[in-house]
Amino acid sequence: MKTYEILEHTADIGIRVKARDLSGLFKAAGLALFQLSAEKQPTKDKEKHKLVINQKANSLEELFINWLNELLSLSAVEAMVFEDLQISKIDEHNIEAVALGSDMKNYKINSEIKAATYHALKIEKNNSGWIAEVIFDV
Amino acid sequence: MIENQIKLEKIDDFRWQIPRSYKPGMRVPGLIYADEKLLKDIYQDKALEQVANVAFLPGIVNYSLAMPDIHWGYGFPIGGVAATDIEDGGVVSPGGVGFDINCGVRLMRTNLEYEDVKDKIKDLVYRLFSDVPAGVGSKGDIRLSAKEEKEILIKGSQWAVAHGYGIEDDLDCTEERGAISGADPDVVSERAYERGKAQSGTLGSGNHFLEIQVIDQLYDADLCDSFGLNLGQIMVMIHSGSRGLGYQICEDYTRNMVHCLQKYNINLPDRQLACAPVNSPEGRSYLAAMKCAANYAWANRQCLMHLTRLSFEKVLGTSWEKLGMQLIYDVAHNIAKIEKYEIDGITKNLCVHRKGATRAFPPGHPALPEKYKLTGQPVIIPGDMGRNSYLLVGTEKARETFYSACHGAGRVKSRTAATKSINLNVLLKELESKGIIVKASGRGTIVEEAPQAYKDVNDVVNVVHNAGISRRVCRMRPLGVIKG
Repeated sequence: MKTYEILEHTADIGIRVKARDLSGLFKAAGLALFQLSAEKQPTKDKEKHKLVINQKANSLEELFINWLNELLSLSAVEAMVFEDLQISKIDEHNIEAVALGSDMKNYKINSEIKAATYHALKIEKNNSGWIAEVIFDV
Repeated sequence: MIENQIKLEKIDDFRWQIPRSYKPGMRVPGLIYADEKLLKDIYQDKALEQVANVAFLPGIVNYSLAMPDIHWGYGFPIGGVAATDIEDGGVVSPGGVGFDINCGVRLMRTNLEYEDVKDKIKDLVYRLFSDVPAGVGSKGDIRLSAKEEKEILIKGSQWAVAHGYGIEDDLDCTEERGAISGADPDVVSERAYERGKAQSGTLGSGNHFLEIQVIDQLYDADLCDSFGLNLGQIMVMIHSGSRGLGYQICEDYTRNMVHCLQKYNINLPDRQLACAPVNSPEGRSYLAAMKCAANYAWANRQCLMHLTRLSFEKVLGTSWEKLGMQLIYDVAHNIAKIEKYEIDGITKNLCVHRKGATRAFPPGHPALPEKYKLTGQPVIIPGDMGRNSYLLVGTEKARETFYSACHGAGRVKSRTAATKSINLNVLLKELESKGIIVKASGRGTIVEEAPQAYKDVNDVVNVVHNAGISRRVCRMRPLGVIKG
């Protein structure tokens, strides 16, 4: 299921994600990276690889950007597309999660997201939960 | 469309100023190179706001500059140039270089004429597509040990030539001879090494390409003679960068420099401009790591050119030397360089950021090889896959832009808008009717990179030529396009 909406940007791609809590927000933005760039192909390979991701930061914005960039970086290094993100602990400064990935060869990669950026970054809490906007360099 | 509040002050037909009064905190005015036609597009996004934001950088000298291909990026606009005075607390910003460090372009001439090879373009395109690894995360045949990878980061193209992927003359025709000094592999993270591993000799994806082109217009007969160029001559252009290694270095150092803002008491309107003084441990480390990625990119383009030469040999059955496949030049367009300029009568070392801009040194500049001392530095401007590309040379007038010119056509339509409005099959037919064959590893890339998504490069080049910051030599049109 698509976890994001697209924001127009001339050269890159912006997204908006919404969730009831921080954990949902980080998960939606993280999964969006791969929904935007990769398309699953029919495969018999059902194996899921588990990777532990722990990040610390001085602020929520930093944590958000570091988390997304860590997912991109690990995905490239491990040649994996992440299909699920299980966040066990999160606050403004820490995140502990397990990423479940499938081999990249099971996917058709349509575009390459290089990084998540601070430019025009928004993370806000409102009455119904959390909302974030972020621009990816593609 | 984005509502734009910036009122530009006209200096002349090709230069427009954002006054310092636009935003409290701007240390210098913004200066945009454009004509009225291009300004209409420029007003559509947030690029001008980004020009104003760059003017906040500590130590910035004269202007926050924007080339006519300027468009909305992150942090710096794409097409932005900013020089900071190192002795005056001038900073270096990884966001002023970008994630694809030393993304750049090289242009190779051949002795071939269009009439000789017009029936073989398809064979050449298919051969190149099969022999040059392209696409996201593509891996090349050039496998490296950890020791060799470190060597590439120091020696750049010189490593490639020493290993048989080219000749000494290629180095003369590469900015910094393909290896900028001061690269330190010890300040590159393990993760960056891993991300760059196995990607040497690969084209990458997105707007990266390899094109077979033909010269369709000469502008300056003397300069064309100097470069050995004629109407109808076949050329090859390669556009690629530092791949995953560069992305990771930019990410590692942006992560670090976000904390420098408080440490060095720097106020910026956008954290993606995060920076540190050039003369600080963080600034020095970033530049040493950035140089590693720059050298890796030069080695990469050198290897890609080698694979191209071999592909031509296979299809045409003649050695690349006999085909006259000589490098004209290779330029970086995402880089920060320390260069000397006279400011108010005093010679200063400036850190010149070119984010989507090309260095354009004038005739006589000491950094130029003997063969280009009289002509000025070749400035290579790729366009989109359906229109033109250009060769220009640098001029003395470009001193006002810290010897910088544009780097391409510049996007005007977002990737998502392009995908929604352009039909792939119609586009391919249109290109075919113009005699252009396209092969891409991802069908989506062709649509995202369609000509309609870009400004007309002819308009962009007109501005840099008429503003005098570069001089047109000749124009090419594409015949065969290989995309990642």
